[in-house]
Amino acid sequence: MNFPILSVTLFTPLVGALLVLIIPREDEKTIRRIGTAFAFITLVQGALIWWLVAQQGAETMQLTERYAWIPSFHIWYEVAADGLSAPMIFLTGLLTTLSLFYSSYVIKLRVKEYFFLFLLLELGMMGVFMALDLVLFYLFWEIGLVPMFLLIGVWGGKRREYAAIKFFLYTLAGSVFMLLAILSVYFQTGTFNILEAAKAQPFAHNFTWASMAFWAFFIAFAIKVPSFPFHTWLPDAHTEAPTAGSVILAGILLKLGAYGLIRIALPLFPQQFHYYVVDVPIIPVLAVISIVYGALVCMAQWDLKRLIAYSSVAHMGYVTLGIASAAAGYPNLQPENALSAAASGLNGAAMQMFAHGLITGALFFLVGIIYERAHTREIKAFGGLASQVPYYYGITMVTGFASLGLPGLAGFWSELFVFRGTVYFIPVAAFIGVLGMVFTAGYILWKIVQYVFLGTLDKERWGQLPDMTWWEKVTLWPLVLGMVFLGFYPTPLLQMFNAAMTTLLRALP
Amino acid sequence: MYGDTLLNWGAIAWYLSPELIVLATALLLLGLDLVEHQRVQHWLPYVSLAGLTLALVATVTLGQQTERVLAVFQLDLFAVCIKAITWVTMALLVLVSEDYLRAHTDQPALFYALLLLAALSISLLGAATELITIFLLFDLLSILSYLLTGYLRHDQYGTEAAFKYFIYGATLSAVMLYGFSWLYGLTGSTDLLWIAASLRMIEQFISPLALVPILILILAGLAYKVAAAPFHHWAPDAYEGAPTPVTAFLSVAPKIAGFALLLRVVLVLFPSALTLGSDLRWPLLTFLSAFAMVVGNLAALGQENIKRLMAYSSIAQAGYILIGVAVATSRGVTAVLFYLVAYALTNLGAFAAIIAFANQTGSELIASYAGGHKRAALLAAVLTICLLSLAGIPGTAGFMGKLWLFSAAIESGLVWLAVLGVINSVISVGYYWKVIQALYLAPMIREDKLETPPLLKIALGLTLGAVLLVGLFPSLVLPWLESAAQLFFAG
Repeated sequence: MNFPILSVTLFTPLVGALLVLIIPREDEKTIRRIGTAFAFITLVQGALIWWLVAQQGAETMQLTERYAWIPSFHIWYEVAADGLSAPMIFLTGLLTTLSLFYSSYVIKLRVKEYFFLFLLLELGMMGVFMALDLVLFYLFWEIGLVPMFLLIGVWGGKRREYAAIKFFLYTLAGSVFMLLAILSVYFQTGTFNILEAAKAQPFAHNFTWASMAFWAFFIAFAIKVPSFPFHTWLPDAHTEAPTAGSVILAGILLKLGAYGLIRIALPLFPQQFHYYVVDVPIIPVLAVISIVYGALVCMAQWDLKRLIAYSSVAHMGYVTLGIASAAAGYPNLQPENALSAAASGLNGAAMQMFAHGLITGALFFLVGIIYERAHTREIKAFGGLASQVPYYYGITMVTGFASLGLPGLAGFWSELFVFRGTVYFIPVAAFIGVLGMVFTAGYILWKIVQYVFLGTLDKERWGQLPDMTWWEKVTLWPLVLGMVFLGFYPTPLLQMFNAAMTTLLRALP
Repeated sequence: MYGDTLLNWGAIAWYLSPELIVLATALLLLGLDLVEHQRVQHWLPYVSLAGLTLALVATVTLGQQTERVLAVFQLDLFAVCIKAITWVTMALLVLVSEDYLRAHTDQPALFYALLLLAALSISLLGAATELITIFLLFDLLSILSYLLTGYLRHDQYGTEAAFKYFIYGATLSAVMLYGFSWLYGLTGSTDLLWIAASLRMIEQFISPLALVPILILILAGLAYKVAAAPFHHWAPDAYEGAPTPVTAFLSVAPKIAGFALLLRVVLVLFPSALTLGSDLRWPLLTFLSAFAMVVGNLAALGQENIKRLMAYSSIAQAGYILIGVAVATSRGVTAVLFYLVAYALTNLGAFAAIIAFANQTGSELIASYAGGHKRAALLAAVLTICLLSLAGIPGTAGFMGKLWLFSAAIESGLVWLAVLGVINSVISVGYYWKVIQALYLAPMIREDKLETPPLLKIALGLTLGAVLLVGLFPSLVLPWLESAAQLFFAG
C-alpha cells in the first residue's frame, strides 16, 4: 500500500490543533509558532499532492484511500484527488498558512482558541476537497461551520454576533436539505460514492424527484457560493470577520460551494442542470444577476471591506456562469468543439475559483492592513495615499488589476474561458454578464484607486500613516507572485483543470 | 414460546442477575443510611457505581440468547441493549449528583437508592411483555420519579413540581391502563404476544376503528412518559422545579423506558404485517412526532432559564426519536436505539456542565453563563459540544442519530417528516446557540474561576469522549443495536 499522503495532509491540521490545545494559554509565542508551522507543513504536503497528481495523471482520481467507516450503511472513509481538487487543496494550504502567519502578528486576544479553531477549519475545508463519499463530504462540509462561527463571533467587528449567527443559520439551513438529498440518492443508487452515484444517475426516470434532489444540492451550494438571492449572509460575515477570517471565507469557503456544483450537482443531475439552464433558465439568470448586481452594489458601496465582500458575489457569479454553460452544452458533447467549449466553461470556473482565491485573499489582507492603521474603512476618508504608502499602493494596484481581469494577471484567463464557454452555449447570458467586467473596472479604478490613492493627501490625518511592515509584505508577496505567474503562464494550472474537467464531461451519460 | 417458562429458581436468578445486583445495592444503600458516620456517607456514590458496574458486567455476560423468564419477561438482545443503556445512564447520573447532594441534603443514601430502583424498573420494562407487569413497572418508575422530583422536602418549587408531575402522571397512567383493559377485553389475554396473535386472527372480523381508541389511550400514556407534545405539559415545570440532578434524570430515564416500551407495544401489537394496525399507526405516530418537534422547538426559543430550555429541547428530541417509531422498520428501530444512546450521553454531558455551573454560581439563567469559557474552560467546551450534538452538527453522536432517523424516514417514503425534522434541527440552533453565545461571545460579568469537583469532571470527560467517539465511529455500538432491531422483524 502506498503512503496515505491525503489522510496525512488532512489530519496534520488536527494534530496541530490538538498540540495547540495542550500548550498553556500564557505561552502565546509557542502557540503562534506551532500553529503556523503545522499550517505550513500542510501547505508543503498540498504542493506534494499537486505534484503527485500531476505525475500520476490529473484526469482520474489519484492517491485513493478507502477504508470501511460505517459498513452497515455502506459509508466509507474514501479520499482521493484529481486535477480539480489538487490545486484547491494547495490553495487551502496556502491561504491558511498566510492567514495564520499574518494573524501571529495581529491577533492578541485569546490566541490559543484562535489558532485551534483556525486549524480545525482547515481540516474541514481540506476534507471537502478530498472526500469521495457523500456522507464524508457532508461531515467535512459542516465541520468548519462552528470554528468559522466562533472566529467571526469572537474576533469580529462591531456587529460580529449578528453576522456570526446569520452565517451559521444560513449555511446550516442550506445544507440540511442536502443531507436529505444525499440520503435519497443512497436509497436510489445504493451507494454514497460520488463517482458511482453519478454513474447510476439517481432518479433517472422520475423528473420531479430528480429536480427536488437537484435543487436540494444546488441551493446548499448556491448559498455557499453565494449566488443571488442567497448572498445576504456574505456582506455581513465578510465585513465583520477578522481579516484572516475574511480571507478564508472569501478565498476558500466560497469555493466549497462551487466545487460542490462541479463535483456533485453536475455529474449526478446533468439532465436537471441542463433543464434549469436552458429550458427554464433560472441558473444563468441568477448567475448574471449575481455578476451585474454584485458589481453595481460595489459601485455604490463606501465601506472598503463591504465593497470587497460584494465583489466576491460578482466574481463568483462567473463561476456559476461557467458551470452553467457546460450544463447547457450537455448532452450534445459529441462534436469535439462542443466538448472543448463546455470544458472551457468548466475550466474557466475552476480557474476563477483558484484566481479569485488569490486575488480576494490579497484584497482582504490589504483592507485589514489599512484598517489596522487607520481604524476606518470609509473610502471617502482616504485620498492621496499613493505618495504616503507607495509600497501598499503598488501591491493594491496589482491585485486590483488582477481583480478586474487585466491580461497578464490571473483574473484574465478565468474570465476568458468562462466567456468562451458561455458565448458558445448561452450567448445572451454572456452579453449581459460581460457588463459586470465593465462595472468591475469601474469600481476598482474609481472607488479604490482614485478615492483612496489619488487626489490630495490629508496631511494632518494621514501624514503619519506607516507603510507595510515586513510581515505584511511576506504575507502578500506569495499571492502577488501567484497572480503574476498565472497571468503569464497559466498552463500548469490549466492542464490540471482541463484534464479533470474533460474526464468529468466525458463521463456524463 | 411458552414451553420454556419452567425454569428453576437458579436459572431465574441467573437471568435476572443484573437486576438482583442493583436491587441488592439499593438495599445496601438504605442500610448504610442508618450509619451516620461521615466516612460511610462519603462512600455511597462509589457503592452505587460498583453495583451498576457489576450489573453491566452481568448484562454483557448474559449475551445474546433469547430467553423467556417467569412468563412475563423476554430476555433478548433488545432487552440487553436497554439494560446496558440504563446502567450506563444511571452511573453517569450518580457521578453528576454527588456534589449537588453533598451541598443540599444530609440524606444522600436514599437518593442513590431511588436512582437504582428506577434503573431496575427501566431495565425490567425493557424486557416485559405482559400488560400487568408493564403497568406495575411503569407506575413504579413514575412514583420513583415523583419522589426524586420532590426530594428536597423544604424546597417549595421542588414540592410544587413533584405535585404537578404526580397529578399529570397519575392521570395518564390511568388512561394507559384503560387502554390495556380494552386490549384484554378484546382478546382475553394480558400477554403481548398472545394479544398480537389474537388480533391477527380477528383482523377480518372487527372494524379497524376498534383499535383506534386503544392505540390513542396507550400512546397518551407513553407520550406522557417520553414528554412528547401534546402530553408534555408537566415537563417544563417539573424540570425547572426539580433538583438539577433530578432534572437530568427526568430528561433521560423516562425516555429510555418510554421508548423501549413504545417499540415493544407498537412493533409486537401492531406489526407492519397487521394491515389493520399499520394503517392506523402511521398517522397517529407521525402526528405525535411532528407535533412534539414543532412545539418543543418553538417553545424553547423564548426560554431564559436553562432548565426550562432543556425541558423544551427534550420534548423536541422526543419528537425526533418518534420518527423512528413511526417508521417502524428495522432501520427505524436501529435509529431509535442509536438515538437513545446518543441522546442519553449528550444530555447527561450537558447536564453535568449545567449542574457544575449551578453548584458554583447558584443560577440557572442563561445570562449567568456569560464568559463561561474563561471561568471554566472544560465545562464550556463540554456544554458547547453537547448542545451541538443535540442540534445535530456533524462530528457528534447527535448527528449520527439524526442521520439514521432521517434515513429511516426517507427509506420508508416519509420524506415530509424528514423535511420537518431537518427544518426543526435548524430552528433548534436558534436556542442552543444562545447558551454558546453566552459562553464564548458575551462579555464577562464575573472573573472568578469555577471549580469542578472530581466526580463531575469524570462525568464531563466520559460524556465528551463518548459523544465524539460515538459520533465519529458509530460502528462501535451499531452492530448490537442493529441485531436487537432485527429481532422484531425476524418472524
